[in-house]
This record gives sequence, structure tokens and C-alpha cells, in this order.
Amino acid sequence: MRINDRVFGMLMLILAVAYGWEATQFPIPFGGHESVGPETFPIMLSIILGISSIYMIVRPDPDEKWAPSAMLIELSVVVLAMLAFAWAIEPIGFMPAAAIVVSFLSWRMGASITKSIITGVTSSVFIFFLFNTVLELALPLGLLEF
Amino acid sequence: MDTMSLLMQGFAIALTPESIMFAIIGAILGTLIGALPGLGPANGVAILIPLAFSLGLSATSSLILLTSVYAGAMYGGRISSILLNIPGDEPAMMTCLDGYPMAVKGKAAEALAISAIASFIGSFIATIGLVILAPILAKFALRFGPSEYFALFALAFATLGGITGKNQFKTLMAAAIGLMIATVGIDISTGVQRFTFGTLELFEGVDFIIAIVGLFAISELLFFLERHAGDGLKQVAVNKLKLTAKDIIEVLPASFRGAVLGFVAGVLPGAGASLGSFMSYTLEKRFSDKGEFGKGDPRGVAAPEAGNNGAASGALVPMLTLGVPGSGTTAVLLAMLISLNISPGPMLFQQNPDLVWGVIAAMFVGNFVLLLLNIPMVGIFVKLLSIPPKYLMPIVTLIASVGIYSVSHSALDLYFMVGFGVLGYILRKVDIPLVPIILGMLLGPEMESSLRHALVLSDGDWTVLFNSGLSIGLWTVALLGLILPIIVGPLVRAKMARAKAAKKDD
Repeated sequence: MRINDRVFGMLMLILAVAYGWEATQFPIPFGGHESVGPETFPIMLSIILGISSIYMIVRPDPDEKWAPSAMLIELSVVVLAMLAFAWAIEPIGFMPAAAIVVSFLSWRMGASITKSIITGVTSSVFIFFLFNTVLELALPLGLLEF
Repeated sequence: MDTMSLLMQGFAIALTPESIMFAIIGAILGTLIGALPGLGPANGVAILIPLAFSLGLSATSSLILLTSVYAGAMYGGRISSILLNIPGDEPAMMTCLDGYPMAVKGKAAEALAISAIASFIGSFIATIGLVILAPILAKFALRFGPSEYFALFALAFATLGGITGKNQFKTLMAAAIGLMIATVGIDISTGVQRFTFGTLELFEGVDFIIAIVGLFAISELLFFLERHAGDGLKQVAVNKLKLTAKDIIEVLPASFRGAVLGFVAGVLPGAGASLGSFMSYTLEKRFSDKGEFGKGDPRGVAAPEAGNNGAASGALVPMLTLGVPGSGTTAVLLAMLISLNISPGPMLFQQNPDLVWGVIAAMFVGNFVLLLLNIPMVGIFVKLLSIPPKYLMPIVTLIASVGIYSVSHSALDLYFMVGFGVLGYILRKVDIPLVPIILGMLLGPEMESSLRHALVLSDGDWTVLFNSGLSIGLWTVALLGLILPIIVGPLVRAKMARAKAAKKDD
């Protein structure tokens, strides 16, 4: 199968056209036209991207296999977990958020539940104190703030 | 001897307690990073940049820290090559060929010691080469005008795939994507908003450090998960070291040859450390007729190790003097410099001689630290290597995100980081190289402004880009760099594959 490259090339071709078109729509800068405006370089780039994506569509490489869909779902869950961690740092605090996300990741990578919780809790507490006291970079305490 | 006195001043900086401390910390972290499979040097340096940045280290200290990490990672790469038969990074691949058989024969400690010595010789000779070559090249580069610079940037992208590059169009595509990301934000010379869609956060453009950590570290985590590689691999036990002076003397010539070849490969655009270690190994094999290469010949460990460390220091020459990195890791080091507001290039040697020579001297110091660290204390690294990735990778991810978060204290940066991680995963799946993207993001603004300068000076005449002998020469090399791999690439790759296959047959 050589479908990956074709699809990706197609997407990139759309990007190239959209990007190039957007560049031609830039407002004329104050002081009038110059020989090279803000749009010159982007237009060159969109041409390069266009050529290489057409090449990719016409002569695709063999596919690298995608993970089975169960794994793709799992990867999406992991990505969501990291996004949730990013969101939670401030309201919940660094230590609880980090402990949860590290335990979750290490559990998903195949560690037993107890061991992953130990990894999560020790690493987050250690890193919190390393950053706050030794390196003096304040991380939010969140819920643990009294 | 102007260089000599500058170097001495450099040593005055590199030998302050503070600098030595950073060199030691960097060396330890670097060796660790290099040793852990899947955490290559580019990755490791990328994770540490935001930390160095938010700690408010001075430019010299940060650069000393990160160059030692870089050098350390090159040392560390050999540990997993020898003990696990898995290269910690690509250039360490050739070390597997004889290193692992040596370890299987119960000579793991000897293989580790010999490779440490060879690494030391490789780095040492290449750093001397750097001292000699860099000022000359910097002086030469002062003659570059904007159109020469534009050609030089084009050359950097064209040769980035290297002589072994698989698909040149994919390299080109990656470079275009990176340069396109760099155009996002307010245009510096006219104040026009480009591709911001009115979003305030995009006015300053996309932060390349976030992109680097996302593309490298987060996508690596996803790959680890996918491959179920959480348990790690079985490693060969390390025996007690029995190394005689004779063993060391026997591998010295191989190390010297490897070091010189590696340095040359590192300096040249498009060659890089992988080719450096490959050439050193094959040459050594041909040179010494009566060895048992592929079955655990010490010289087969020494040559490629010296080669890849030599190339690593050699790659700093174009990075420091021209501002054009030749490899992924030097690209990341360049990111560091740019975010510290130092523009590398020929002017660096004139404006910041303290910094440049301080760092070069620190490379000598770091190299000694690494040698000391890697012979007696190799056992500690080996122990750490046996911690399975299922515990390590989540912690590394955590450290990476803390680093990003501490720069600006904004959750948005972390969302971007994760986004780039997903992007990196997809790009790796379709085999689009990540390094040109990073390089595009880094060099984009400079490349565009040199194009503009050239064209403004010539009043819009595009032929200015090709009107000096120097720029024509640069364009020719760029074109060759793009076309040659299509012809030569398959041959070299076939050779590398044969070397590996031949070893498996034994």
C-alpha cells in the first residue's frame, strides 16, 4: 500500500495553495510597494511545498504500518491525558496533576498499578521540591495551598 | 599566535569553578541521555534548553552546559550499542557491529573502556581541528553578503538529508513546512501580520523551543507506547575490567584515523556523524587485514566511536562560524543561541570572543571529565540503563513539560507542545524528517531577511542572487547536495545494510 504518502501529499498540497493564496491577500504595507514585500518569501515557500507534495502524490513511498485502531485510541487517550495535565497544573496544582499523569503513563506503558503510582508520586514530589527549592522556579501548589 | 592567546583566555573562563561545575553536570546528564535508548542527543538537549533558559543562566554557562550534554550524549550512545546491541542514537550504529559481539564474549567492560578512550581521542582531535579551522572559516565568511547568505541557507537545507538521505523531496517538504511556521507572526520589517488570523498569541510567532520538545520528546513517548517497548531489553552483564596498556596501544592508530575522518565528515555539509563513523569503520576494516571485524575486534569498536565523536565536534564548526548547523543536535544548539539573543556566524568570533573561546575551552575540559566519568564510573550508567522505559519515559516527559511550563507559566504553551508531539508522530509515520522542520523554524527569519536585503540592494533584480562567484559556488554545492543522494544514496545504504547483514550471518 502506498496510501499514506498520497493522502499526506494531498493535505500538504491544499496547505500550500491555501498558504500561498493567503500570502497574496496581505495588506499593502505602509509606505507602498517594495520590490520584496512580506508576501514574496511565503509565495516561494508555497511553490516549494506544492512541488514536493505533488511529487509525493505521484511517486509515493511504501507505507509504514499504522498501529491497529485499538492502539490509536489508546494513543489518543494518552494525548488527552497530557492535555488534561496541562490544563490542571494551575487549578489543581503541580504535584497532584503530575502524580496522576505520570502514574497513568507508566501504567499504560505496562507497569503494575502499585509500581506506577509509586513512580508517579515520588517523581512529582521530587521534581516539585527540586524546582521550587533547589532551582527556585515556582511551580503552582494548587489545591495543596493553604 | 592570536588563536593561542584567545584560547588561553577561553581556558581562564572554562576553568572557573562555576564553568567546571556546569561541565560536570552536563557531562553526567549527557551520558545518561545518550545511553538511554530512544533519547537521542537532540532530544536531550531540547529538553534541557527551556530549563537552562528559565534558570536564567548566563549565555556562557548555558552553552557550556549544553555542549557538555552534547558531547556526553555522544559518549553515552555507545553504552547501549555495546550492551543492548541497540544504538542509543544513529551514529552509534556502527559501534554495535563489534561492540556487542565483544560484550557477548564476556568482554563488555573492555569494550566500554576502549570505546571511551576512542571517544576521548575523537573529541580531542576534533576540538583541536575546531580551534584551527573555525577562525579561518569565520574570517572567510566575513566576505559573505546577503545573497551569499541566502545561498548558504539554501545549501544547508539541500544537504541536510545527507548523502544517505532517502527521499530528497521529503527533506524539501519538511524544510518548507519549517520555514512556513517561521513566517507566522508579525513581519519584522513591515509590521504586517502574517498567518496570525488575529490571534494575539500568534503575533510573536511560534516558539521553536516548544516545537522542538514536542516534535522530539512527545512523539518519542507515543512511539514507545505504540511499540510496547516499556519493558526495555535484555542487556549483557558487565564483567570486571582487565585492560592492559598493550590493549590500549593497539587501538590507538585506529582511533586517530577514525578521529580525523570523523572530523572531516562532521565539518562537511551533508555528511554528518553517521557517515563519519561508517567511513571510519569501513576504512579500518580494509586497512587492518588480519582482524576479526564483526566478531568483536577492539579496533572495530575504537574506529567508529572515534569517528562519531570527531564528527560531533566537527559539526560545531559550521554551526559556530556560519550559523548553519549540519545536524539535528547542532540545530538544537543553534536554537539555544538564538533564544539567548546571540546570533552565531562570523561576527560571533569578533563580538563575543569570550563566549566562543570559553565554550571551546570548556569542550576540552568536558572531554577530560567525560573520560574520567566513563571509565571508572561506567557501572553507574549501566545500572541506570537497566531501569525500564516504562518508569523513565513518563518522568522524562514530565521534566520536559515542566521545562516548557517554567519559561512562560502558561498552559497554552503545553497545549502547543502536545500538538507538536502529535504532529511529530504523524510526520514520522509518513517518513518526513523532523530536523529540516526545526532548522526551517530557526533559520526562516534570517533567510527571509537576507533575501530581502539582497533584493532591496539590487532594486528588485533577482539575478543578484547568482552574481558573485561565491554564491554561484554555494548554489552549485546546494544543487549537488540535492541531486547526489538520489544517485549515490542507494549505493551507500546498500553497503551499510550489507555490513549489518554480513554480521548477522556469522
